Amino acid sequence: MSAAAQIGDLSFFHPGASLPALDHVSLMVPAGESTALLGPSGAGKTTLLALLDGRLRGWRGRVSVLGAPLDPDHPPARASRPDVGFIFQEFALVERSSVLRNVLNGRLGRMSPLRAVVGSPAPCDLEAARAAIADCGIADLAERRVDSLSGGQRQRVAIARCLAQEPRLILADEPVSNLDPARAVEILTLLTGAAHARGATVLFSSHQPDLARRFADRIVGMRDGRIAFDVAAGDLSDVATADLYRETEALPGIGLRAMT
Amino acid sequence: MRSRGFGGFAAGALVAGAVLWSFATTDVELSRLLSAGPRIADFVGRMVPPDPTVMNEIVKGSAETLRIAILGSLGAVLLSVPLGILASETMVSPPIYRPVRTLLAFIRAIPLILVAMLMVGAVGLGPLPGIIAIAFHATGMLAKFYAEAIDGVTRAPIAALESAGAGPLARLRYAIWPQMAPVVARDTIFRFELNLRESLILGIVGAGGIGFYIQTYVRSFQYDKAASVTLAVIGLVVAIEAINITLQRRFC
Repeated sequence: MSAAAQIGDLSFFHPGASLPALDHVSLMVPAGESTALLGPSGAGKTTLLALLDGRLRGWRGRVSVLGAPLDPDHPPARASRPDVGFIFQEFALVERSSVLRNVLNGRLGRMSPLRAVVGSPAPCDLEAARAAIADCGIADLAERRVDSLSGGQRQRVAIARCLAQEPRLILADEPVSNLDPARAVEILTLLTGAAHARGATVLFSSHQPDLARRFADRIVGMRDGRIAFDVAAGDLSDVATADLYRETEALPGIGLRAMT
Repeated sequence: MRSRGFGGFAAGALVAGAVLWSFATTDVELSRLLSAGPRIADFVGRMVPPDPTVMNEIVKGSAETLRIAILGSLGAVLLSVPLGILASETMVSPPIYRPVRTLLAFIRAIPLILVAMLMVGAVGLGPLPGIIAIAFHATGMLAKFYAEAIDGVTRAPIAALESAGAGPLARLRYAIWPQMAPVVARDTIFRFELNLRESLILGIVGAGGIGFYIQTYVRSFQYDKAASVTLAVIGLVVAIEAINITLQRRFC
């Protein structure tokens, strides 16, 4: 089985932090599958995803994404960045621009530098953007400005932008944490379905075990910057899940346990 | 508390000392102040009624002032776009934006009228020194505003475009510009309004515009004509203010 991402003995401290955000993490993300990072807030899921997207500096360990090693001191080459798509928790859309413009922004890395700045989009870029918009079920919203859309519609625009980029690996940071349960199922169905149809690998983070079970082939449990377990979705036990979400040890001076 | 009380006393003493020093060393004659009333009344009396025959000069002067403000603002915008980018934390690193910001603060510190006088000396009388002076002076503020507009945008979409492989200029155009456009429009209109107001008085040092006529008429004791031109200036300022309010509603 080939790997979309290979991580060996990875550690990372946020600037000024005394505890590691990632603590000797080793992990293989299988290509062509859907993997969920499951864990409570502060487990290091967002940090790991941002690192795989090439946005963090100063980590230690070995990381390779889509077969190319990442450099802890330098950002990845611009040419390789469109291959990794990122879906942000807060959507990260340009509010005052139209849906189509936002989705076309996902194509910027695939355009020549000159066309990206001064030119109009080429037919192939427009086609890719329109196709991604149609796949996400928002064709009728293409000309609308993003600031007039609902949360669920915005997440569809963010996914369409990522798909228009034609990534081989899609990283999604809590893609449904801002949505109600019905909307969350819709969005994850869309995301994993579209990725599967394109043969892309998905790595998404979530704090909801039922969603991870339903939409992932593998589930990686994370807690306190470490990998707690790495299992096939069908093998996730309730005991392991409960242990992942167990109460934090009471800190000195905060009598959480004493109160309950 | 005691130290704070002492601080208050020291500040009070400093202010009192400054006022006393100014009075003691400046020739402030009460008799001249007292006789000023009738003279101001005489002055105002000679301004009324304003002489309407200077309409031609008013139109000519206003048009020239407007041209100075338009071309001076255009020059300031052209200078402020690159300088604003170079003064922004989002676009460049500290070794670049720190000296650029210092340069802009230095430009802002030079009064417009001084720049205009220097330019009159350098390129001669007329509207050209006014245009250059306005462009130079306004850049100090406008480039700073543009840099703040760039730095004031939400960062997440910029990170998203960077993640998608977009270069810095593509990020500026598609992630930063749509967010900052209303701010830039507002700041530019605000600066144009200031430029128009400030160019009204540039004529006094020979740098063109309607101010030249006020100066000429006051010097030749034609206060009724000076009054007409002054009223025209006030009318222009009010008109610009009204246009400004309308445009702001339109953009923001």
